[in-house]
Amino acid sequence: MNIHRNPALADQLAASYALGTLRGGARRRFEALAREHASLRAAALIWQGRIASVAELQPEVAPSPAVWTRIENLVQADKQARSMQAARSAPAPTAPAGRWWASLGLWRGAAAAGAFATVVAVVAGVGLNSRLSGQVRELSARLSATPAIEYVAVLADDKANASILVTFDPTTQKLVLKRVGDFREQPDKSLELWALPPGAPAKSLGVMNSGEAVVRLTAADSDIRRSPALAITLEPKGGVPPGTAATGPILFKGALLKTPD
Amino acid sequence: MRVRLNLMRGRLRTGNICQTIVRMNPESPDSHLIALLDRIAQADESALKELYGLTSSKLYGVALRVVTNRSWAEDVLQEAYLNIWRIAGAYQASLSPPMAWMGLLVRSRGLDFLRRRASDRADHVQELDEVIADTVAGDAPNPMDTAQASEQAWALHQCLSQLEHRQREALSLAYLRDLSHSELALQLRLPLGTVKTWIRRGLEQLRGCMARLA
Repeated sequence: MNIHRNPALADQLAASYALGTLRGGARRRFEALAREHASLRAAALIWQGRIASVAELQPEVAPSPAVWTRIENLVQADKQARSMQAARSAPAPTAPAGRWWASLGLWRGAAAAGAFATVVAVVAGVGLNSRLSGQVRELSARLSATPAIEYVAVLADDKANASILVTFDPTTQKLVLKRVGDFREQPDKSLELWALPPGAPAKSLGVMNSGEAVVRLTAADSDIRRSPALAITLEPKGGVPPGTAATGPILFKGALLKTPD
Repeated sequence: MRVRLNLMRGRLRTGNICQTIVRMNPESPDSHLIALLDRIAQADESALKELYGLTSSKLYGVALRVVTNRSWAEDVLQEAYLNIWRIAGAYQASLSPPMAWMGLLVRSRGLDFLRRRASDRADHVQELDEVIADTVAGDAPNPMDTAQASEQAWALHQCLSQLEHRQREALSLAYLRDLSHSELALQLRLPLGTVKTWIRRGLEQLRGCMARLA
């Protein structure tokens, strides 16, 4: 059938193609013909443009104000992730240990700028149908309902998958780490938690060994209060010797938030 | 003037002529939205906020029509704006008016969302039916909203307005929800033949009308 010689039929098929009701074999035949004949291709494009305007004609409905807050948080997290990536890919002339801290320092600035972003983004936004996000949301809801918890951080990997939930109660100085993701380190490795105070070296807060789902640590209130963010590195079993810097890669990080009163 | 601007924009937008035209026509909503998208492509958050203020009600309306549930539509809207934030630079390569481009994004995010939910679909179909039953129930006055619509959308609106309400709805839903004749018949609870006839006649009338306007 020479539909390209029959403009009315060609136009009719192009319209059904754009609307989406031309299906199956008929749709494939149309596509094959359109690749051969520019006039048919043009008709399809014109109709796609026309039909797409249906979206512009739908009645307006105001979304809840919470949607913008979520978008804003996700955009902050996105910017943070971009500057982290930039920091990582920027070559540093120092020794490996120094380079680790240099990139962390850069990242810390971004984290402070986007305070609030990571946790809220992870809790409220990322992964619509992910069970994990529901789990974190539920955990955070439960946590914010507990008055003694004053600080909370969701530490996530570079794909924003929540991995460790950290809470701190200043009255008892109890710092609790809980695994919420499915990351499992090798048995001969440990996860080490670091406070990242601005303008000072990172400070180790403690170690989580492989196989432990929850760890309770004691931390000085001052260490927590002045750290806008926390990070977890992968270290040899038991962590680095006290007073020394991290040796392994940063696995997870996140902003430390004061829970609303 | 606006019709020609829309058509010319794609070819001229990088040149000086384009800037002259934009300056000559500063109140054109399209050129303002395009300027905002340009700024968003430079990672300007305040531009995203302004764009959201101007377009979110329209796009939420689209999302609602696609997924039919307020909280799902909010998730879709959120994904769509995050998408706009990330790929605003790609708009320059598109020849569509900005609202049409964003409408396409929302529709495809919405369709993705429905596909993801296809596994637990039993409750979903129920909800769809109720919403559609409302919209197709009678020959209500034309609910289409042309505020902010591009010239092209205005033409489509003129032509769709000449159709019977139920025909117009069938066409809109077929497109917005990417439904086949039989899916549409199922959702509208109408015989397949009726749906096919509505769509065919609706498209025919639309073709005649759009040809006169274009």
